[in-house]
Amino acid sequence: MKLFFLISILPVVVALIIKINQFFSDRTAIQGIYIFNNMTVVMYLQFLILILALFYGTSVCSEEMEGKTLTYLTTRPIAKSAILLGKYAAYTSLIIILTAIGVTLSFFILNLNDLLNFSLYKILLRDVVVLSLGLICYTSFFTFIGTIMKKSIIFGLVFSFGWENVIQYFPGSTQRFAIAHYLKSLLPAPKTGRFSFLMFRLEPSPPLLAVFMIFLITVVFLGLACVLFSWKEYIFED
Amino acid sequence: MKPVIETQHLSKWYGNVLGLSDVTLEIEPGITGILGPNGAGKSTFLKLITGQIKPNIGTCFIKGKKIRNNYPLFSFIGFCPEQDAFFDELTGWQFITGLLRLHHYSPAERDDRAQKALEIVELVEDKDRVIKSYSRGMRQRLKFAQAIAHDPEIVVLDEPLNGLDPLGRRKIIRLIKSYKGEGRTVMVSSHVLPEIEAMTKKIILIHQGKIFAQGDIHYIRDLIETHPHIISIKCSDPRLLASNFIQEEFVLNVKFSSAENTLLVETNNRDKFFSLIPSLSVKNNIEVEEITSPDDNLQAVFDYLVGK
Repeated sequence: MKLFFLISILPVVVALIIKINQFFSDRTAIQGIYIFNNMTVVMYLQFLILILALFYGTSVCSEEMEGKTLTYLTTRPIAKSAILLGKYAAYTSLIIILTAIGVTLSFFILNLNDLLNFSLYKILLRDVVVLSLGLICYTSFFTFIGTIMKKSIIFGLVFSFGWENVIQYFPGSTQRFAIAHYLKSLLPAPKTGRFSFLMFRLEPSPPLLAVFMIFLITVVFLGLACVLFSWKEYIFED
Repeated sequence: MKPVIETQHLSKWYGNVLGLSDVTLEIEPGITGILGPNGAGKSTFLKLITGQIKPNIGTCFIKGKKIRNNYPLFSFIGFCPEQDAFFDELTGWQFITGLLRLHHYSPAERDDRAQKALEIVELVEDKDRVIKSYSRGMRQRLKFAQAIAHDPEIVVLDEPLNGLDPLGRRKIIRLIKSYKGEGRTVMVSSHVLPEIEAMTKKIILIHQGKIFAQGDIHYIRDLIETHPHIISIKCSDPRLLASNFIQEEFVLNVKFSSAENTLLVETNNRDKFFSLIPSLSVKNNIEVEEITSPDDNLQAVFDYLVGK
C-alpha cells in the first residue's frame, strides 16, 4: 500500500524537479501544459495506471488466497460475486483517488505560473476522467486474470508492457485490441514534439465508441470474473 | 430426530490424491466429533459440508438444501477454519464487526453481536488491539468468536484446539460445550482422542478418506482398550523389573531399549499393567524415572484397527 502510494506520487516528484530546473535555468521555458499532457500519456497512461490496476486488480482474489482469509468471506450469506465486486469497487476507488491526487498536484506544479488560466482546468478534468476510465477498465481485466491464474502478475506484466504498448503501433485495425487505443482516442492528437511517437495512432476511434468499448470491456471481464469466482474451487496451498 | 447435515456418497480427490471416499452420513443436533489422524480427510469433509469445495461425486445437504453456492444457508452456519489466518492489520473488534457486516445487520445490532461474541471468548479487553499482536490462544478464540457471532444453528470447527496450551484448550473446550444448547449442531474435528472425548460422546472416525467407525465414544474406547500398547519405562534396574513383568499374563513382550536404562513392555491390558508398576517398584526397590507410551496416539490405534 505504502509502496503504491509512493509510486503514484512519482510523477509529482518529476514535476517538481522539472519546475525547479526551469526556475534555475536560463533556457526558454516549455509550456507547463505541454509537459503535463506528455506526462499524462507517458507516465500515467502507459505506466502508472497499468501498474496500479495490475497489482490491485490481481490482488482482489489472490490476496485472500495467499493470506488464506478467503474462507471468512465465502462462508457468509452473501453471493461470491458481491464479494468480488465489492473488493473491485473499493480498490478501483482507492487507485482512482491516488491517481487523481498525483495528476492534480503535477498539474498545479507544472502550471504554477498560469493558474488563473481557467481553460487549462478542462484539460486537467479530461485527463483525470480518461485515467479513471483506464483504471476502471484495466482493474476489471486484471481482476479477471487474478481469478483465473495463479501467476497473474507475470501475465499482467507481459500484457501491460508487451501487448498494450506494442499492439497500438501496429497498422490497421489490430490496435483496437488494446485498451490503450480507446483511452488514447479520448485524448487530443499530439503536437509534434519529442514525445509525439508515444501518442502515435493510425486510426483513433470516435470518442463515443471509445467510451462504449471501455465500458463493454469492463463489464465483460467483471462478469467473467464473477462467474469464475462463484464456481471455481479455491484450495489453499500448505 | 431429523438430521441437520446429510451427505450421500460424498467423494473428493485432488488430482490423484484421494481426499474423501463415498461418505454417507446423517448428523443430528448436538456435538459430533470428527476424529482421525492428520491427512485422514477431516478438513476435506468439513470443507465439503460448508460448500467451500465441490465434491467429485455425491451431494451434501444442510437443512435439506444443497450447500454449494447456496449462500443464504450461511445465515445458519458458522465456520471456524483450521488455518491460523487473519486480516492481521485489523483489531479484533474490526475483524468481528467487519464480518458481521456481511450478514446485513444494522450497525447497532452488529456492535451488539460483536460485543457478545467477544464476551463469550473473553476477548473484550483486547478487542482494540491489532490481531497480529494476539497470542495463539487469543487468535483461536477470535476465530471461534467470528464463527458464533451471528448465533448460527450449525457450527463447524476445524481443529479448534491446534497449537493451544493446556489452559487455552480448556477454555475452548468449555466454550464449545457451552455452545451446544438450544438444539444447535456443532461439528468439531481433531486428531487427538482425549480432546474429542472432553467435548462429546458422539464421534465419527475417519481414516484414509473413509468413515471407519461412527457412534458412541465408548465403542471406540473399547476398540482402543483391546489394542496392545507399548509402554516405555526408564528405571534404575530395568532387568529386575523385566523379570517381574514376564510372569504376568497381560504382558506380551519385553524388550530393552537402546536408550539407557529403558525397558519396552507390550501389554494388552493397560489398566492392570499400570496398577502393577507401583507395587513392583516398591517391592524391588526400583526407582522409576519416567513412563511413556510411544504408541498412545491415534495413528497407532488406526494402524492397529486397520490391521497394519
